[in-house]
Amino acid sequence: MFFLLGSASILLALIIRFYRLAGQWTESGQIIFQNILMVFFLQFLIVILALFYGTSIVSEEVEGKTLPYLSSRPLSRASIIIGKYLSSLAVTSIMLVSTLLISYFILNLDRDFQLQDIWTIVRYALVLLLGLAAYLSFFTFLSTWLARPILLGLAFGFGWENIIQYFPGTTQKLSIVHYLKSLLPQYSSASGRLSFLFIRLEPTADWLAVLILVLITAVFLALAALLFTFKEYLIQD
Amino acid sequence: MTAVIEARNLSRWYGNVLGISDLNLEINQGITALLGPNGAGKSTFMKIITGQLKTNIGEARIFGEKVWNNRHIFRRLGFCPEDDAFYEELSGFEFLAGLLSLYGFSSAEGEQRARQALELVELTDVADRKVRSYSRGMRQRIKIAQAIAHDPEVLILDEPLNGLDPLSKRRIIKLIKEFKNSGKTIVVSSHILPEVEALTSEIILIHQGKIIARGDIYFIRDLIDTHPHMIRVKSPQFRQLAQTLAAEDYVLKMAFEPLEQAVVFETHDRDRFFNRLNEMVLTLPVIIDEITSPDDNLQAVFDYLVGK
Repeated sequence: MFFLLGSASILLALIIRFYRLAGQWTESGQIIFQNILMVFFLQFLIVILALFYGTSIVSEEVEGKTLPYLSSRPLSRASIIIGKYLSSLAVTSIMLVSTLLISYFILNLDRDFQLQDIWTIVRYALVLLLGLAAYLSFFTFLSTWLARPILLGLAFGFGWENIIQYFPGTTQKLSIVHYLKSLLPQYSSASGRLSFLFIRLEPTADWLAVLILVLITAVFLALAALLFTFKEYLIQD
Repeated sequence: MTAVIEARNLSRWYGNVLGISDLNLEINQGITALLGPNGAGKSTFMKIITGQLKTNIGEARIFGEKVWNNRHIFRRLGFCPEDDAFYEELSGFEFLAGLLSLYGFSSAEGEQRARQALELVELTDVADRKVRSYSRGMRQRIKIAQAIAHDPEVLILDEPLNGLDPLSKRRIIKLIKEFKNSGKTIVVSSHILPEVEALTSEIILIHQGKIIARGDIYFIRDLIDTHPHMIRVKSPQFRQLAQTLAAEDYVLKMAFEPLEQAVVFETHDRDRFFNRLNEMVLTLPVIIDEITSPDDNLQAVFDYLVGK
């Protein structure tokens, strides 16, 4: 299912490509990628991937009644959570980066690639991976805390994050997506007919945005590991 | 000598529901069976001594060490949970090898141990099939395999014979006895007395979260035999049967079910009752359609023992 979601970005890139070939769209592939596909990746794909993988980290084991197979092994309980987090991050990262590369190249097939383009795509990939790590960490924490984390996860990922990022002043800094947008140049210097997508961003400095994203990841992962260490999970008969 | 497994004043409840209450026991090397009806507290006890559940009061120790959140003890412990739950998309071999990798074995050693365990439970032929496609007996055996694959000193088996056909049961019983003979400590739970009798003579009776008796199987049998048994006999000649058996001193009560053509006898000596019934079938013109024991289940026996 998640591969299908990832494929949606490729399909979108193909549609835009054909539309451009028909002469209906004059902006360059680079601009379209930045302004449309990155919005899809940033505000939908990484959230949904992190939500479904993160919230199932504990609940899948509890509902599937397989948790005793892990919790009766000579492992610290924290390492179970961190191991499951890392494996989920690895799987989702591969899905994300592969679809990102394919859709980027579809939209930019007519360009002569230069070193600058490689840096651009690497930067996009790193920003998305940072976002994925942060969201996954938060949803992993929800999974260790709540028996049914998906509803709160949905409310956070598609409610809070979508609304709070448009608030002026420091309020928008209470969302993860704010720091991701701060790392992408198009959100800080938007112009043209797609600029309405980028209203109201008051960017945080690059180094600070990266630091905060790393801190969010570390703090929620540590909380998840701590909670899982001391909480017992009742498996219903 | 310190017991292998110790429980001190163990109590655990789930909201208002009591799991176990003030349970004290010591378990030593060999096979010990926890016998009790469903909901007696056997699984709660097993989950506590395998670190799956915390206690509300008291503590559980294995080899003198606390169990909850003590990962070092799990290297010496094998646990076969009651639930029929698996990573269904894995093959039997992948399931075992994956779990063995969590012990820090090299992949070669993990694979070798997985194959040995599969051989012990006679699943080598289906090792590469997905667990999803296994029969109930195979699933039960692969569950036991994951508990024994790392060669633990203590084995905790929660209802290991549940749902098995007679042949599979015999295989598992043989396997558990082999483990006992190699000096290990095994705790088995069951709610079926004949299963337990086939495994061990060391039995702990548990009911409503408390230990109500402990001893060898003969002691438990005697205890049970001090209480009357009900035997329902269905026969077209049920009145004639009742008339003849009424004269026997071991028949305490009779109740007729004329619509069903049956009579329910209450006796405190089942062996003599059945001997006499056999004689009657051979000597008198009576046909017996069915013999059942309405109280021949553990719940009824336990109710007698706790004086309900």
